Amino acid sequence: MPLRALQRDFQSALMAGSTGINAQLVSTPEAGAARRLDIYVQAYRLRLLDVLEGDYRKLAACVGDTQFQALAGAYISRYPSRHPSLRWLGQYMADFLASTPPWSGQPLLAEMAAFEWAQGEVFDAPDATPLAPAAIAAIPAESWADLRLRAHPALRRLDLTWNVASIWLALDNDTEPPAPRAGDVPSGWLMWRQDLDIHWRSLSVDESWAIDAWCSGARFAELCEGLCEWIDPGQVAAHAAALLKGWISAGLVTALLTD
Amino acid sequence: MAGAQTTNTGTRAVRVPVLLNSAEDSMPEYATDAGRPFLGFGLGLRTDHYQSVVDERPPVDWFEILSENYMVGGGKPLHFLDRIRADYPMVMHGVSLSVGSTDPLNRDYLRELKALVARVEPHWVSDHLCWTGVDGRNLHDLLPLPYTDEAVRHVAERVMQVQDYLGRRILLENVSSYLSYQASEMTEWEFLGAVAEAADCLILLDINNIYVSSHNHGFDPMAYLNAIEPQRVMQFHLAGHTWHDRIIVDTHDQPVIDPVWALYAAAVRRFGAVSTMIERDDNIPPLAELLAELDRARQIAAPILKASAA
Repeated sequence: MPLRALQRDFQSALMAGSTGINAQLVSTPEAGAARRLDIYVQAYRLRLLDVLEGDYRKLAACVGDTQFQALAGAYISRYPSRHPSLRWLGQYMADFLASTPPWSGQPLLAEMAAFEWAQGEVFDAPDATPLAPAAIAAIPAESWADLRLRAHPALRRLDLTWNVASIWLALDNDTEPPAPRAGDVPSGWLMWRQDLDIHWRSLSVDESWAIDAWCSGARFAELCEGLCEWIDPGQVAAHAAALLKGWISAGLVTALLTD
Repeated sequence: MAGAQTTNTGTRAVRVPVLLNSAEDSMPEYATDAGRPFLGFGLGLRTDHYQSVVDERPPVDWFEILSENYMVGGGKPLHFLDRIRADYPMVMHGVSLSVGSTDPLNRDYLRELKALVARVEPHWVSDHLCWTGVDGRNLHDLLPLPYTDEAVRHVAERVMQVQDYLGRRILLENVSSYLSYQASEMTEWEFLGAVAEAADCLILLDINNIYVSSHNHGFDPMAYLNAIEPQRVMQFHLAGHTWHDRIIVDTHDQPVIDPVWALYAAAVRRFGAVSTMIERDDNIPPLAELLAELDRARQIAAPILKASAA
């Protein structure tokens, strides 16, 4: 049998439980071919399950071990790894949960997955030197209107309808998590990395909008204009400047662009 | 020779211990085999130990990193990698080259590997004599190849491509296996030797894997050791394993067992001063436990190397 055909048969055994490879394997008195193959079959399943459990600890806690195994098995069948690193195995989990019954019936789960995956992204996103707070004083008055910001690569914005952050935190502290609760509208969250650690906080509706806007390249004047939806026009420039100071001091901004 | 020698692989000169002081300060002087850099006794670098390594600068001669763990943008993994690299020699060990696969080599992976090599400036780069998937899938396991002439030619050709791309020879490691193929035309050691010869690559000999596979397939581990060409062996792995109903599985979650230590002693007698490390990937103990285990490797190697140097 050519090597390629043999590898395809072996892979089918691991991914789909097919037995076509068995005739190609050696049986010994210690262990037959099927038993030997089964070591690889089980190891495949357990290894990937272990990785998903590591990436989605609180999701696993929310659904319980048995459900998580079923969920992870279904996920692995739907999204087998195509990447050299297991780091990316779980990247489609939130989408999977949002679109796959029965888990799509519990929208909290997809949001928890998104929240946990974002933590991983923030954890090892590229490095960049945050702008020093003093930089803001160096902006010439005439440049403010055109000012644009470059975001730190580890900045993430999430919109969460459910109280996943509170549930996550309670589970992380080994305390009783609050009951799942949905807000009337999604609320904005910011996640970022500072001194190598992952941080997050909830955002007011205006700050959520403003961060999305500047991450999409909006200029300071456009930020001010947009913020007028929530802020009195007489206060809006000062308000936007205060937000900017806060972002810079949190290390979210790596450059001020005035071109 | 006393003290340390300087070897120069890549652009960064690294002082490599030749005289190693054991806890009892009884380690003899010995020279390395001609042409083979000897890094001493190392450990696999694991996230659980990052802070201890940075804070305590433990007496480990070198670290092996898992290449894929550092193919990320930044954050803690690369922070600790750079900090620890500043203090210790390193080698890189990959699990996803899939050099035995019949898929084309993954160019994106190789690009990332080469970029990491440039960052780490490792003494060498290794991966496994295995395949990990076909048709674009990655099964994330070190799957055995049939030991055939076809596979020798196929793998050797790809190893040469990798070596050309990286601009350096790589080490191939023998894997543990739990099954074998009807199609095999030679022993595992003949297969490893033939691939290494055809590709002119180096060998990372995993002593535990030889032990595990010798049990699982019923061969004599000494026949394996005695068949491997000493000049190609650049590194040893030591690890623990787990029994699963008459089959041994290479779990890397237990201490090294006595028969594997005995096989290690035999390997040191045959191959001489080969950089040796302990691989622990699961059930990871405090660093002190691994340091004690590593001292055992030093204590086993020392008298053998002293006798052979005399």
